[in-house]
Amino acid sequence: MRAFEFDLIKGELMNDCRKANLAHFAVTIIGKDRPGIVADTSEVLFTVGCNVEDSSCTMLGGEFAMILIVSHEKPFSKKKLEAEFAAKNMGNGLSAFIRTLKDDEVCYREPVGELCLVSVYGCDKPGIVYRITRELADRGVNITDLNTKLIGSPLEPVYVLMLEAALPHGLSVEDASRLLEKLKKELSVEISVRLITPVSL
Amino acid sequence: MAVQTIVTYPDPILKKPCPPVDQIDASIAQLVEDLADTMRAGPGSVGVAAPQIGVSLRVCVIDVSKNRYGKENNHGLLLMVNPAILARSGSAVMREGCMSVPDYTGDVERATDLTLRFTEPDGTVRQFEASGFEAVAIQHEMDHLDGMLFLDRITSLKTGLFRRKSYK
Repeated sequence: MRAFEFDLIKGELMNDCRKANLAHFAVTIIGKDRPGIVADTSEVLFTVGCNVEDSSCTMLGGEFAMILIVSHEKPFSKKKLEAEFAAKNMGNGLSAFIRTLKDDEVCYREPVGELCLVSVYGCDKPGIVYRITRELADRGVNITDLNTKLIGSPLEPVYVLMLEAALPHGLSVEDASRLLEKLKKELSVEISVRLITPVSL
Repeated sequence: MAVQTIVTYPDPILKKPCPPVDQIDASIAQLVEDLADTMRAGPGSVGVAAPQIGVSLRVCVIDVSKNRYGKENNHGLLLMVNPAILARSGSAVMREGCMSVPDYTGDVERATDLTLRFTEPDGTVRQFEASGFEAVAIQHEMDHLDGMLFLDRITSLKTGLFRRKSYK
């Protein structure tokens, strides 16, 4: 029964993704921020014929970080892409890391379940990210997005953590809120959880 | 039942402002019925606008009474010909999705309170105040009549919160 269900799910996934002829790679680019990092990176990808299928890029401190899922018609090797980035990024301070994705990483299933936003902020101290995320992970809560920032003054640093997470079946926003309640006192931080499940219009 | 296929972007009809209905006749009554049927058939749908089923006219239907965000505060099924928002106030952000733009959602800022006027298919003119999620749904569907998608209204990236610091 279990095997049958698994095959069924696997079959659905393979039907959904329709990418059998494509090789997929995860590309991470990071370097000291300046205008042109995205243009330089996308130039390499365009030149070699890669499609950017998904990406998230942002400033982290003084660095600019890019994470991209790219695809290319087979046959295509990671080495080719690495060589192109090495040539383009020579001496410009950007580092590139490339990973080949397996089929089950490409044909994934979006997390289902209620989506919530958890905001945590308070005086900076070690362990805020760890304690919050461990508590959520142990209950099967799937984080889909997370940002942290150190704000405030050097004398009174304030830590802000914002995350979005898909709740597992059977766990409500109220349950998640109660779950994190005890960490409020322990870490002396403010924690709020609110429902942000999108509305279909 | 006349459930119609939902038109998805990049069909150009979704970006075209719709002309008003000049005269309510049998074809408009049929259009309203099709919109309502299509809305009921869409999983969790709370509204459909005429261009979403391929008709460029200022007609839309809304019903948030079965939705968890709207069940406490609504006017039931609204069949709207030539709707107009006469006043709006307040603001709130909600994460919206749209049947015409599948697989994408984004945070959109909308007015929380509005005064709405429209004509029903039988010719009755109605005017009332709508608020909360019903107001959001009305604005989303009426945007379709102006060739606007929620993609045109997404106000911030997910990191927007932190960017505000530099405005000080």
